[in-house]
Amino acid sequence: MFKTKSGDEFFVIDGHLHLWDASPENQANKYGAGFISCFYDYHRNLSPPDYVWEQSLFEKYGPERMLKDVFIDGYVDMGIFQPTYLKDFYKNGFNTTEQNSWLKVRYPERWILNGSWDPRDGEAGLEYLESLVHRFGIRGVKLYTAEWKGNSRGWKLTDPWAMRYLEKCQQLGVKNIHVHKGPTIWPLNRDAFDVADIDEVATAFTDLNFIVEHCGLPRLEDFCWIATQERNVYGGLAVVMPFIHSRPRYFAEVLANLLWWVGADKLLFASDYAIWHPRWIVDKFMAFEFPEDIQKEFGVSFTLDVKKKILGENAARIYGIDINVRKKELAGDAVAAMR
Amino acid sequence: MRSDEVYGQLARVYDPELDQPLTELGFVGGVSIDGSVVTVRFRLPTFWCAANFAFMMAADIRERVSELPWVERVDVQLLDHFFDEEISSGVNCGKSFVETFPSLATDDLDELRETFRVKAFVARQERLLRSLLALGWTENAILGVRIGDLPRLPLGSEGLALVDRYLAILKERRLADNVTAPAFVHPDGRPIDPPELRAHLSRAQRTRLSVEFNAAFCRGLLKTRYEEADSLCRGALAGPPFPGTPSGEVVE
Repeated sequence: MFKTKSGDEFFVIDGHLHLWDASPENQANKYGAGFISCFYDYHRNLSPPDYVWEQSLFEKYGPERMLKDVFIDGYVDMGIFQPTYLKDFYKNGFNTTEQNSWLKVRYPERWILNGSWDPRDGEAGLEYLESLVHRFGIRGVKLYTAEWKGNSRGWKLTDPWAMRYLEKCQQLGVKNIHVHKGPTIWPLNRDAFDVADIDEVATAFTDLNFIVEHCGLPRLEDFCWIATQERNVYGGLAVVMPFIHSRPRYFAEVLANLLWWVGADKLLFASDYAIWHPRWIVDKFMAFEFPEDIQKEFGVSFTLDVKKKILGENAARIYGIDINVRKKELAGDAVAAMR
Repeated sequence: MRSDEVYGQLARVYDPELDQPLTELGFVGGVSIDGSVVTVRFRLPTFWCAANFAFMMAADIRERVSELPWVERVDVQLLDHFFDEEISSGVNCGKSFVETFPSLATDDLDELRETFRVKAFVARQERLLRSLLALGWTENAILGVRIGDLPRLPLGSEGLALVDRYLAILKERRLADNVTAPAFVHPDGRPIDPPELRAHLSRAQRTRLSVEFNAAFCRGLLKTRYEEADSLCRGALAGPPFPGTPSGEVVE
């Protein structure tokens, strides 16, 4: 919960969290090592100096540390786990639903546990998806189209098997489809960050929500266009947020475009922890105001109401959470007692 | 100096996605010259940077450096990338993209290259249009500018640098031949109608912003990734670009 000086309360749902194991023992090959070192550079490059970790901690921080960072220090009331399996790069997977469920089981009211699927798993994957719904009651999935599997170097949402999985999601009530775009490798001559497949599936599956993580960056122009065409396309602000610190001008320009084209009701706050710590991001987000020229050019304002929507209300709405009810439930839970 | 000539050629190689020269982006990790053989090492902001753009840059490095009359062979070495060996050996053997990646690529990179040249065109034009709007120019005045007027626009040095960049891409697209033709056109040369200028600018603004945002991210990541390595060699005049790279190596 973030409280302003005047006592106004902001319920915070962090829309993109990971509990990964990228330790050398779990890395399967140079790609696993390359994957986490890329994340670590993101972390070092865009975090304020006080929030930069040692590499070994960054590779594996564990559930207790995560709980403290996110809920005790980080203002966050609820978090959404977005798994990324990467089983070709990490022996036990990088960040699986099963790994994440450790915290979900212990602190059930704090988490929205999402699953994941991969259309290349065929029939067996459809059964796995069903089992995730039965075991964990998942209401959303995180998809990573750039994942390598055997000889395959990625997939598209419009692949025939992906369409079957989306149909299955519809049947099972898995309504929220978080899509992480790129860098997709197949086919290698295409733009690795192309977001065009989102447009097609959003039209085909109008009762599913498609949350495009990091707002389609670095293809913001295409994402804005798609999001205006499709009422069920949302923007996840992971990766966009940390620019608030190092490049506030770009952050303002990107956010102004998103507010104008996508709208304040369709943007979800996300820290992408452990790449970035939610505490400083929430602090800066609450303090942020548009430069005058941008406000004038776009005619959008960054009011407290807008901030409240982005920080929690939008995610609560698409996941069917009543914030007032949940606040009361959380006030007496084990995490609240640790604060 | 021959190395200056090589760097001069490398300054003409652009990252196709960011529309900036490799030399300014810091992507050139070192050049070694052994007689008529030139070795160019280049590195990117992340291990996962798009392989297709990396291939374009590697191929362009080879082409540009080969233009020097004394160069007989160019050895391009992409470093620290998930496809570093594949891209380096493909380009050094003069293979096309499809020949280098027969099982992953369905076509060569002409279409992708053109998509990003169009974005570069739009972004360069947008910056110039904005600086004219900031001076209070009306839409009709802006759309009345002709190719021949561009170098004489009443702009400061920063604005004139934008003119140079815009003119260069107009020439590249063969849109600058007729000095009396309108200067501000669509990437395919169609004129922009005055009523559509605002919408055109709004679209162009998002393209320019994406390119700039991405470039800022990439520059930062490259710095984070290599600043320690680079600082180790700072001060050593002819020293190696990376620890462990012997200086003045003989390339076989």
